[in-house]
Amino acid sequence: MKTQYLLAATALLVTAGAANAETFKWAAQTDPQTMDPHAVNSTPVLSFLNNVYEGLVRRGKDMAIEPALAESWEPLGGDGWRFNLRQGVTFHDGAQFDAEDVLFSYERASSEAADTSSWFAPVSEVRVVDDFTIDFMTNAPNPIFPDSIANFMIMDKGWAEANGVELPARDAENFATLNANGTGAFRLVERQPGLMTALEPFENWWGEPEHNIARAEFTPVQNAATAVAALLTGEVDMINPVPIQDVERVSERDGVEVIQGIEARVIMLGFAQKAETLQYGDDAGAPNPFRDARVRRAVAHAVNVDAILQTIMRGAAEPASQLVSPAMRGYTSGLADRPAFDPERARELLAEAGYEDGFSFGLKCPNDRYLNDEEVCQAVVSMLAQIGLEAELDAMPVRNYWPELREDNFDMYLLGWSPGTFDAEHPVRFLVATPNEEKRLGSWNFGDFSNARVDALLPMIQSEIDDAARQAMLDEVARIVRDEVAYVTLYVQPLLWGVRDGVELTQRPDNFFILRWVTVNQ
Amino acid sequence: MLAFIIRRVLQSVVVLLIVGLVAFSLFRFVGDPIDNLLGQERTIEDIERLRGELGLDQPFPVQYFNFLQGISQGNFGVSYRQGRPVADILVERLPATLELAAISALFAMILGVTLGVYTAIRRDGWLSNAIMTASLIGVSLPTFLIGILLIYVFAVELGWLPSFGRGETVQIGWWSTGLLTASGLKAIILPAITLGLYQMTLIMRLVRSEMLEVLRSDYVKFARARGLPQRSVYFRHALKNTLVPVITITGLQLGSIIAFAIITETVFQWPGVGLLFINSIQFVDIPVMASYLMLISVMFVVINLIVDLLYFAIDPRLSASRGGGH
Repeated sequence: MKTQYLLAATALLVTAGAANAETFKWAAQTDPQTMDPHAVNSTPVLSFLNNVYEGLVRRGKDMAIEPALAESWEPLGGDGWRFNLRQGVTFHDGAQFDAEDVLFSYERASSEAADTSSWFAPVSEVRVVDDFTIDFMTNAPNPIFPDSIANFMIMDKGWAEANGVELPARDAENFATLNANGTGAFRLVERQPGLMTALEPFENWWGEPEHNIARAEFTPVQNAATAVAALLTGEVDMINPVPIQDVERVSERDGVEVIQGIEARVIMLGFAQKAETLQYGDDAGAPNPFRDARVRRAVAHAVNVDAILQTIMRGAAEPASQLVSPAMRGYTSGLADRPAFDPERARELLAEAGYEDGFSFGLKCPNDRYLNDEEVCQAVVSMLAQIGLEAELDAMPVRNYWPELREDNFDMYLLGWSPGTFDAEHPVRFLVATPNEEKRLGSWNFGDFSNARVDALLPMIQSEIDDAARQAMLDEVARIVRDEVAYVTLYVQPLLWGVRDGVELTQRPDNFFILRWVTVNQ
Repeated sequence: MLAFIIRRVLQSVVVLLIVGLVAFSLFRFVGDPIDNLLGQERTIEDIERLRGELGLDQPFPVQYFNFLQGISQGNFGVSYRQGRPVADILVERLPATLELAAISALFAMILGVTLGVYTAIRRDGWLSNAIMTASLIGVSLPTFLIGILLIYVFAVELGWLPSFGRGETVQIGWWSTGLLTASGLKAIILPAITLGLYQMTLIMRLVRSEMLEVLRSDYVKFARARGLPQRSVYFRHALKNTLVPVITITGLQLGSIIAFAIITETVFQWPGVGLLFINSIQFVDIPVMASYLMLISVMFVVINLIVDLLYFAIDPRLSASRGGGH
């Protein structure tokens, strides 16, 4: 009885909201490639589908995890996690949600055909306890497991079986590529890949809607100038991103504003640390100076990050001292300052290392991956020239860039990293750990940085339940990374969204756009 | 005539095969699709496995052969980016490009011929000089700049026309048309002008110079001497004789209008095959790139064939010489 009463009240609220509800239109550069939440692990897809599908847990406005399809969860000693599922949740097609759907989604998302399988590497078994309780057993204690599956979205087992989409498809079309059936606040009503995708509120959503959107339309607009024009004409209500060079122009205009924030992505310079010789520039073939930490530290002192931020980023970004930004879990607050800009000290370090006359080498850089990436590299080249290091810049599109890095074709390179788990352990696992294919470690550690203490600490960090002890170990790693200059961190990339006046929304550091936090006033 | 057509078709097939081979040999320089297909948490093992699944570990002639084999069975492959059959995607996108190209060509023809005739007749009028000067802009400014300028003036500042997209479309069978709705018609104006401006100035200058030449010829002088009205001299006698080269050029340009649509479509987010091609280059979506290039080559080949055939139809001298026993 009580539930029914509540439902009726919610329905009333929804109708009341609909009276002044609006069509909300937004544009971004990339179209989500698929509507299948397990087929592609990329920001455009996961961000979009977060509005349609839901996970056991979700991230709130402050990035902290909060209950979604699981009402609560608790560790099972050190063996895994128990999730107590929400009751009375329905999928968009009306089917009931229960533990079988979670088990099914786990099997689907961890299959070889899925791009999300790495999230479940620590999981040994999943057990359905009853209709609304499910246990995820892990190989070792795993304190951040609930955090790491915030984007693991639940699909209805019956729907998937009825439509023959028990597995995600990579090289064929299937029903889930174009259709969706989640439990989220919005349901997919129209999908025209590359043209327009429309969502409408789901009336039977279990949560309390905060938005007043009657219909939301997403259009990919690839050309940045066109997107800005569309915002200025009012054809769209929000664009992501606003090109840095247009920020001032858009801000000065009446009726639109730029919402600026800090993304989770840290931009840094990496080095070939194992290679015997340099590969590029006039000194190609000479012994590799970047094996010496003093030379790497000299680079850190030679780069004037504040100047880069002021000129190239127009004051929109913040310097980064570590591999993660302060907004992430596990950030080391004791190491908040990056090495000071000090060319004098840099020259001394070079002299100590025996390179007082400098040397010449190759810097690889993408030109379409990060905001103004090529300009940043050009600035780095001219700053390094001040201390006698002559960098030969080779900038290329990202589709050529990663293969070059994988083949070790660099002396120095630019990299950006956004930790998928929003935890400091993530970059340690991918960027700092000694590369080890079997253990799935260091897969983005192109420069082959290697430190035995870090390698020993990583498994301990991964299984430490006690927060203080875990933080102490993360701090130690952060100190080693800084002392050894594993990377020269530069800055945290900004988020720049253009928004029409009267639209209120929340910008999350993972660059996800969550529709249920949007309100539109006339 | 039939032998001519058969010979041309056979030649065309050879051209298409070579285009495909060149395209496939270049794809590996475009980049590696693997990183776009896998998330950041992939391992080297995942990369190798997927490479094997997609056949990317094969040398390019083998990849090309597999592609041709697919096509011979009517299968254009599956897009890496969208995970959908390429044929479906092309069919979805083609109407937008063809409509844009048709409207642009129409715009270029009508305005080009009209202005060409006008500037030829009023050779020294101030308006003619103004038009000729303005036409320099059409030939010298790059397409994307014209597009952005038009968007800035007519969409942002004046607010008359939409800045991007195709407006509402109506589905007629598999063909989606934007020409039957008000918003669709408004949306096509700026892209069509952007795309057709260069061709328009080209046609205008061509018509003008041909006209000037014809107006100096003896038969025009005789026509004038006979006291024929100016109208009749200009439009019945002079213009008609300038049209042969104009039609040839326009026909050949139609192919490049479709090919150049890539830039216009990107600027206006026009959902045609050109935009699809740009997206697939960025993603290294090899099946889509290959199919697009094949499609465009087929179009060029067909258009050239039609133009060749039109020679016979329009130019009586060709038929006469044929009739003369060749």
